[in-house]
Amino acid sequence: MTGIVIFPLAADRPADTSIEHAPDYPPELSRLPPGRHGLPREFVVHNQRERLIAGLAEAVAENGYASTTIAHITRHAAVSRRTFYEHFDSKDACFVAAYDTVMDELRERVGGAFEAEKDWSRSIKAGIAAMLAFLAAEPNLARLCMVEALVAGPVVVERYDAAIQSLVPYFEEGRKGRSREVLARLSPTTEEALVGGMVSLISRRIFAGRTAELESLLPDLVEFALTPYLGSAEAAKVARES
Amino acid sequence: MAKGYQAVTVADIVRRAGIARNTFYENFSSKEACFLAAQDYAAEEALRRVVEAAAEIESWQGRVLAGLTAFLAAVAEEPELARICFVEAHSAGDAAKQRYEESLQAFFPLFKVGRKVSPHGEQLPETLEETIVGGVYWIIARRIVEGKTEELESLRGELAEFILTPYVGAKAAKRAAS
Repeated sequence: MTGIVIFPLAADRPADTSIEHAPDYPPELSRLPPGRHGLPREFVVHNQRERLIAGLAEAVAENGYASTTIAHITRHAAVSRRTFYEHFDSKDACFVAAYDTVMDELRERVGGAFEAEKDWSRSIKAGIAAMLAFLAAEPNLARLCMVEALVAGPVVVERYDAAIQSLVPYFEEGRKGRSREVLARLSPTTEEALVGGMVSLISRRIFAGRTAELESLLPDLVEFALTPYLGSAEAAKVARES
Repeated sequence: MAKGYQAVTVADIVRRAGIARNTFYENFSSKEACFLAAQDYAAEEALRRVVEAAAEIESWQGRVLAGLTAFLAAVAEEPELARICFVEAHSAGDAAKQRYEESLQAFFPLFKVGRKVSPHGEQLPETLEETIVGGVYWIIARRIVEGKTEELESLRGELAEFILTPYVGAKAAKRAAS
């Protein structure tokens, strides 16, 4: 396995309570040694699933979703084909699991960053920053959820659309307490267009292989997102403060 | 395209087109080649209509509104072709994605003119045109997926405001869009 050794999302926190009380395993154990290692069965099973998801992300980053095979995934995950089928019925099912895991994490980070700020415009800035930081740090996962998801069939495409739409309420909060004059210049589709515009720019950068640059987009995206509510000058000010 | 690009076969295409398989292969080497030709045709036609609609208009704001109106009308008239360009293009391989990218980029110079009209044109974010076109494309794609393309022409005012606001401010944008 190249790149991420363990599924990075699992490294941050135990995703499954069944392993919460397990001792801390050293990172090298993320690639389980062959034979009898004496680890609890739940840990092994859980670890296999996460490795398959990480393996899928690597395989898809390398080959694109359409050309990825189960053999690619199991090779990257360093598990047997049989193990793959113990967890997933198909490549599609593995992708859906991976997509959901990544999006849960992304949602949690964006939501957490947003909630941590009191002032709405700073909440928006923090949420966008959290999203960019996560995607830039995990280029394979970024590609998986922002580019390959659209290739992975109608089930995932529907979730992708819903995930983007789920960002709309964060922006709608910006309407609260605004003057009648400001509210009059916002339209019913303002938030939808803002979210779509930001996601479009981010996914185009990822598709172009420029994932590492994502965090430098923060001031532009913040100014773009806040302008309808605050006007250009104030939006630019918030966008540029550190 | 109801089943999506990946699932569609050449057999589906010739059946729907009412032509022989041979005829298909006399014109296109593959499903992908046919898809790309459809994208090219649609993008060229839409851009031609945008430019034609905007040609006689003096103000940039007026050109944006007229061009947008023509663009939305083109989408609403040919929802299946629009589905190819705005929705299926993402799943039809790298060449199709490249064309999608070019169809977005075609609008950047038209909107960039707004920086000269804007009182704060030099301070606007470098990526502004990318986010604006991306936002308009997203609204269009959503209406296509939901089968509500007939709604699009009624959104022209809102979308024109969305495009113009960063350049000229909300008030002037509203005036120009109505």
